[in-house]
Amino acid sequence: MELRDILKKVVLLGDGAVGKTSLIARYVVNKFDDKYIATIGTKVSRKDIQVIKPNMIINLRMMIWDILGQKEYSKIRSASLSGAQGVILVGDLSRPDTLKSLQDFWMKEVRNVVAKVPTIVVGNKLDLAVKSSMSTTLIESMGQKLGCPIMLCSAKTGENVEAIFTTLGEMLVADVVAQKAKAKEKAPQTLAEVVDFIIQDFCAQYGDLEKAMLIVQYQFEDAGVDIRKPHKESVLKAIDGLAKAEELSLTKTVARVNLEERQRMVILSKA
Amino acid sequence: MEQDIKIETLILMSVVVFAVLAVIAFVVPFENDDTRLFFMGLAAALTAINVVGLLSVWRASPTVIDEVFLMTPTGMLLKHYTRRLRPDQDEDILAGMLTAVQNFVRESFDEAGGRLNEIRFEHYDILISHRKNVVVAAIISTKKPEKLRNQLNNVTDDIELRFGEAIKNWSGDKKELGDVDIAMKRFLSGKYKVKKK
Repeated sequence: MELRDILKKVVLLGDGAVGKTSLIARYVVNKFDDKYIATIGTKVSRKDIQVIKPNMIINLRMMIWDILGQKEYSKIRSASLSGAQGVILVGDLSRPDTLKSLQDFWMKEVRNVVAKVPTIVVGNKLDLAVKSSMSTTLIESMGQKLGCPIMLCSAKTGENVEAIFTTLGEMLVADVVAQKAKAKEKAPQTLAEVVDFIIQDFCAQYGDLEKAMLIVQYQFEDAGVDIRKPHKESVLKAIDGLAKAEELSLTKTVARVNLEERQRMVILSKA
Repeated sequence: MEQDIKIETLILMSVVVFAVLAVIAFVVPFENDDTRLFFMGLAAALTAINVVGLLSVWRASPTVIDEVFLMTPTGMLLKHYTRRLRPDQDEDILAGMLTAVQNFVRESFDEAGGRLNEIRFEHYDILISHRKNVVVAAIISTKKPEKLRNQLNNVTDDIELRFGEAIKNWSGDKKELGDVDIAMKRFLSGKYKVKKK
C-alpha cells in the first residue's frame, strides 16, 4: 500500500453573507458562528483528510481560502484565487440573487484566473429553505449547465457540510496514480535500470534526500554492489538492508511491500 | 539577547572613558600644553579603538534565523524549517496568511508590481524574498536582519534556478521537491554563501 502526502489549495467564493466563513468554521472546527469575521479580505484555514484509493492512501491537506465576498475587491480576490486547485462556489438558498450570481459572476472569475479546476456549487442555508423550492430547482439546473456537482447544505445544522469537502477532496486527487502502477506501465528492463529505480524510489519515500543517499551508499557498500556492473545477489542483499531502514522510517507493512516489489523487479530484470 | 547586552555595555564604557578623557583634556587647567595634547591624543586613540572594536563585535555576532518558509507565490507552503518547537503554530496557515497580507498591502498601495519585503513585529523581523515561482521568508529574532538579506537573495535565486520549473508545475506532493532541503538547511544555519551567477 503506497502512502502519499498531497497539499492542495481550495478557495471558497460567493456573494457576501452567503455563509462561506460559517461553512469553513463548521467543517474545520465543527462550530457555527453567526458573527461575521472581519478579515483582510482573506482567511486561510487547514483541514486534513484521508482518501483511500486502490493500492494507495492519500493524506490530503486542504488549505481552505475564504475570500471576501464583496465584488468590488477584484485585485485581492484575483491574487488570492491565483493557484487554486479546487473551488467551492457558495450561494444562499434563501436569496435567489446570490445563486444567480454564481453563474453570472463567480464562475466567470474562476475561469478567468485559474481556468478549469474541480469545482462544486453549493447551496447553503438549507435550514431556511424548502427542499423543493424555486432556489433548489434553480441551483440544480445551474449545476447541469456548468457541469459541476451541486450540493445543498446548512452550516448552521452541519447537514451535508463534511460531504462537500470530502467530494471535493476526491475530485482533487482523482488523477493521482500510484507510483507503483506507473512503474508497471514502464517496467525497468536491465538490472542497472532496476537499481536506479530502487535508489530513486527509496529516496523519494524516505523524504530526506541527504540521509537517504547515505543509507543507500552504506547498504550498497555493505552488500558489495558494484554500481557499474551490479549482480542480482548483491543487489538483493542491499535491498534487504534498505527495507530494514524503511521499517524504522516508514512502517513495517510499507517496508515489506516495497521489499517484495523490489525483489520481484530484480529477479525479473535482465542482467 | 545576551549579545545585545554585551554591545550595550561596551558602548556605555566607551562613552564613559571618552567623557572622562575629554573632561580632563578640556576642563582641567593644565600648565603644560604638551600634557593637554597627550590627554586629547589618548582620548582620540581610545575612541578610535572603541569604534573599531564595536564594529568588529557587530560584524562577528551571529544573526540567528529562527524559521524559514519556502512557499509558492500563491501561498502554498512547500517546506518549513525551524529551530524551535512551536506546537501552537500552524505553519501552513501562517504561510497562507503571510501571502494574504502581502496581497492586502499591495492592493492598499495600488502598486501592481510592489512587494512586501520586510515585516517587523516586536522582537521579530520577517524578511521576504520573491522570485517568479518561489518565495522564501525568514523569521529572525536577533537584531541586524540586513546581514541576512544577501544570503536570502542568494538562496532564493538558487532555488528559483534549480527548482523553479518543478515548483511551477508542482502537483502538491512534497516528495517531488527533491534535494531542496540541503540549500534551505544551509541557509537556516546562516552559512549560505552561493554567489549569483
